[in-house]
Amino acid sequence: MTDLNTWQQLIYYFQHNGSYVLRQFSQHFLISIYGVLIAALLGIPLGIFIAHRKKLSHVIIGIANVIQTVPSLAMLSIIMLGLGLGTRTVIATVFLYSLLPIIKNTYTGMENVSDNIIDSGIGMGMTNWQLLRLVELPLSLAVIMAGIRNALVVAIGITAIGAFVGAGGLGDIIIRGTNATNGGALILAGALPTALTAIIADLTLGFIQRHLEAPQTRS
Amino acid sequence: MSKIRHFIYCCGLLLGSLLLLSSCHSNGLGTRQSQPVRISSLSTTESQVLANILSELITHETHHKVTLINNLGSSTVTHESLIRGDADIAASRYAGTELTGTLKMKPTKDSKKAQQIVKKAFRERYDQKWFPSYGFADTYAFMVTQETAQKYHLETFSDLGKVAAKLTAGVDSVWVNHEGDGYPAFKHTYGYDFKKVAPMQIGLVYSALAAGKMDVVLGYSTDGRIKSYDLKVLKDDRHFFPPYDASVVATNQILKQQPDLAPLLHRLDGKINLDTMQTLNFKVDNDLLEPAVVAQQFLQEHHYFRKGAAK
Repeated sequence: MTDLNTWQQLIYYFQHNGSYVLRQFSQHFLISIYGVLIAALLGIPLGIFIAHRKKLSHVIIGIANVIQTVPSLAMLSIIMLGLGLGTRTVIATVFLYSLLPIIKNTYTGMENVSDNIIDSGIGMGMTNWQLLRLVELPLSLAVIMAGIRNALVVAIGITAIGAFVGAGGLGDIIIRGTNATNGGALILAGALPTALTAIIADLTLGFIQRHLEAPQTRS
Repeated sequence: MSKIRHFIYCCGLLLGSLLLLSSCHSNGLGTRQSQPVRISSLSTTESQVLANILSELITHETHHKVTLINNLGSSTVTHESLIRGDADIAASRYAGTELTGTLKMKPTKDSKKAQQIVKKAFRERYDQKWFPSYGFADTYAFMVTQETAQKYHLETFSDLGKVAAKLTAGVDSVWVNHEGDGYPAFKHTYGYDFKKVAPMQIGLVYSALAAGKMDVVLGYSTDGRIKSYDLKVLKDDRHFFPPYDASVVATNQILKQQPDLAPLLHRLDGKINLDTMQTLNFKVDNDLLEPAVVAQQFLQEHHYFRKGAAK
């Protein structure tokens, strides 16, 4: 192996362990997505709720802010105490970190809907539900999407650390790289797909976000 | 209105692709209904190879699903994971470590006796089954480069004592505070101290030694990198380190729930000797093969140790 340079080693590695890397990749991606999805299921309704009850917004966003300040390794360890080892712990961690960007963006998105538009909606005799569904949500979708996009990119990074609590994923390969004799290629083999996943997720969601942008803000 | 429809469409697409991903994923994330067998392993190459051998053996020979819980930091964490029910099987437990560490008993130099004591104690105290050894013992050993060995004429741990005051030692971070066979006990037995002791991740000590960052390191005697770096392993002339025969440990609960597991795990009894283990480790550490790949090759070579199968 020593006669190959790092890049050749990397190619050799992918040729011989391809299916393994693919398995770890899908594990990694699924953990991130599940975490963000659960956070979105809770975060978006919560964001909408606090946008209509301004007093609560400080409390909720404050709590989410505090969660965000806990270092990810510490968070993983704390949750591990309760949930034990494995994927569940990492999904819970990703979920907690995704809450802030999603809640905050939903809140901001709803806030930014111009009062005039809402007034005209009310003037048309819309009910609260119709106002939300036909006016507020469509106008804030792009901002909400930006929050989810943020959350997913962060989540992919956090999942890499999840290898420390036995969840698998691409972080596993990175850790093995730090243990191996000439681990340079292994570290790259884990790190490059992780970075690539994050970039691709960012681009894809960015594309969807631009699609959802309200006409008046589209350049 | 079209925005919302657009959004729902996108979400649907995303969910669809997710489902697709999930279905082609061998050990999916939320397989609640068919409880997978959970195997825990340490962050060492050896432990991961063994865990993957078990995993491959179980998935190939039975219908059980397997989840690997990887990269656990120390044998204490592995032990806890079994006690707490986070894992069902520990891929590699070393009799010597458990004897003094987990069980807090007196070390013994007799490897057979150590295994018997540990087996009995684990059954009585924790309701866990200690399987017969894989067939190899992994022990801690101090090692130096060939040059250092020649320069100071080093053969045994005692030889090391004469020059220890000049040397920096890289050791397993777990070992430093290990009870019974850790650094304090070592100092007591051999009566010397190194100039400086640097605790580090066990996987790094070999390269640290080869790169000249450390003069002497404490590593595992089975590690493949001893071969690739041509290191000199010194003899433990006062038999300080107890015998660390490696075994599988499983909770009796899972063995009762899945009666086909015990005979399957017994297939590996005494099947992996020191040489085989070193070769397997070498393949992972030096040849850039994943433990999963090495494990599969190994089992295929041996026809999954089926009865009557040609060797």
